[in-house]
Amino acid sequence: MSPRLPGKLLQLSSSLWDTQLTVPRVSMRNFGIKSLNTPKPSRFNIGPGLPVLESTSTAALRRKANSLPLRTGVIATKKGMTAIFDPETGKRTPCTVLQMDRVEVVSHKTRQKHGYYAVQIGSGWKHPSNVTKSLLGHFSANGLSPKRHVFEFRVKDESGLLPVGQNVSASWFQEGQFVDARSNTKGKGFAGVMKRHGFHGQDRSHGVSLTHRSMGSAGPSQGGGSRVYPGKKMAGNMGNNQNTVQNLKIMKVDAEAGIVVVSGAVSGPKGCNVRIQDAIKKPWPEVAPAESAATA
Amino acid sequence: MIQLKTLLNCIDNSGASVVECVNVLKKKRPATIGDRIVVVVQKQRAAGSEGSGTALANKVRRGDIRHAVVVRVKKELQRKDGSVVRFGDNACVLVNKAGDPIGTRMNGVVGQELRDKQWSKILSLAPVHV
Amino acid sequence: MAALPTMRPLGCLRTLFRAQDAFQPQMSRRFISTAYSKRPERVPLPPNLPQQFLSQLPVRMQPQNASKPVKVYPAPPSTSKACKDPVAKITESQLAVLDPKGERKALFDYRRNTRSVKPGDIVRVTFKNGDPFNGVVLSIKLRGIDTSFLVRNELTRVGVEMSIKVFSPNVQSVEIVQRAERKPRRARLYYMRSRKHDRRSVENLVASYVRQKRAFLGGKRQQ
Repeated sequence: MSPRLPGKLLQLSSSLWDTQLTVPRVSMRNFGIKSLNTPKPSRFNIGPGLPVLESTSTAALRRKANSLPLRTGVIATKKGMTAIFDPETGKRTPCTVLQMDRVEVVSHKTRQKHGYYAVQIGSGWKHPSNVTKSLLGHFSANGLSPKRHVFEFRVKDESGLLPVGQNVSASWFQEGQFVDARSNTKGKGFAGVMKRHGFHGQDRSHGVSLTHRSMGSAGPSQGGGSRVYPGKKMAGNMGNNQNTVQNLKIMKVDAEAGIVVVSGAVSGPKGCNVRIQDAIKKPWPEVAPAESAATA
Repeated sequence: MIQLKTLLNCIDNSGASVVECVNVLKKKRPATIGDRIVVVVQKQRAAGSEGSGTALANKVRRGDIRHAVVVRVKKELQRKDGSVVRFGDNACVLVNKAGDPIGTRMNGVVGQELRDKQWSKILSLAPVHV
Repeated sequence: MAALPTMRPLGCLRTLFRAQDAFQPQMSRRFISTAYSKRPERVPLPPNLPQQFLSQLPVRMQPQNASKPVKVYPAPPSTSKACKDPVAKITESQLAVLDPKGERKALFDYRRNTRSVKPGDIVRVTFKNGDPFNGVVLSIKLRGIDTSFLVRNELTRVGVEMSIKVFSPNVQSVEIVQRAERKPRRARLYYMRSRKHDRRSVENLVASYVRQKRAFLGGKRQQ
């Protein structure tokens, strides 16, 4: 602290005092234990001024709003692959042929009742004697024949809910738009780690016997807890799990035969179910509301 | 499929006859037609066998490290219209750092993929392209 | 099986037991719960049961709770029945554009058409961009729209092979320059890649063919 001085003196030599104040002073000695490193701000998300956590279902829907399609998808069957030539440029595009069969809206899932918006879509036909009575009642209550396959397609809001019983034809998609195709991959059965996870296996020789394709160690010993960590990649069933192929271009649409031709490959064997819906990573297709209510 | 240790024919009159790939540039995969690679000259042509005089003596010597452009590959290449092209050997042309060919003449067929990759100087030197 | 010799005389009794065992196990394994019995007929309610007695029945047996038949709606017309082979349909629609007269298809359908290109023939393929490719046909793959043929030639002493899609819009024409002298014994002449069987360059043959053709067509330049 600077000593108190009479005001007269201060006025006379103000410039002198200014210079003295700017000179760095000798730091005071601190007593007690003090850390050499200044404390860092907490890396955890705690403290005042943080946004309120939104764990409500409304907030969850708001978060998903950008990644939920506006329109429902459809169920199709993979029929095989072919190629399409562009007559002008001569470019050949490999593509997959999908067929839609009697795709109809079975029911709705609504925010009020189920917590989200979705369209339940059925395709194909199943003999009524092979359908359980409860499921038969579900179809009949909505005025539909029993469906072979039933899937749900989430949509953003109630404007995407097609009327129940509506037939969705292949013209639901426009040529040139992009879709995501979701289907089960080909089952590979019980596969070893080399095939399933691409492990390198073990040596052909150098004393290795009978374990040329096995995984080796499953984890560390005492230092790592002497246990196998959850999620360790091991041999097991491979394939026949759902896979989504994104951004496939619609090359051709034939509403009469229910054919949708998409560019590129789609997971799964011929005859498998493929769910196709507007691609979430591309701008939504521009469809007039009247056109969207396609009937066949 | 040109990668480390691949031996290629050099089809220009720069003086190299067989070169070895030591690096593939701008790519994490094996090189194909139109890709630039770094090579070591392993075998040089007999000097003066070109017959064009002393001015066209070997510009490169055995052991030189040079840049080169792949012009033919054994590995089949698929084109836009689905056709597939395969050559009988792997071949390249030496270029300098600026991308101009070191040799002044070329003898041998080259792939048309060079056109897409802006190697028009090499294409104009080549007698045939497929 | 080395039984004691003193026990041997009693061994004959074992066959007697065995004969009885054959009958007994079947009888003893059948339980009362697994024995088939006919399902009892449901006893109908008396026709004129007074209303007040209905409440004494179990809920599911009360007449108003009897199961009603579910109305089953008929299926709409099937699109997959209407078009059994969609891949063939797409191929046909492609061919209608790329090969409207079916000439190109006939030219390579070596299984049915005797005048078609066959493995071993020397062909000249002209592309839309102008430059031709000549060579010996090594194989023909019949795969619908992806039908292709493999042509081999030697250019500047380097072997060049090209697999060309028959229906590619880039292919302008395919001409047969020379037929195989005799029918090859294989459908795929991959052995012609080996040095011993290689045809080497066919450029001279094709050049003379082009010259002849030009003379025949009256000196008109033929691309």
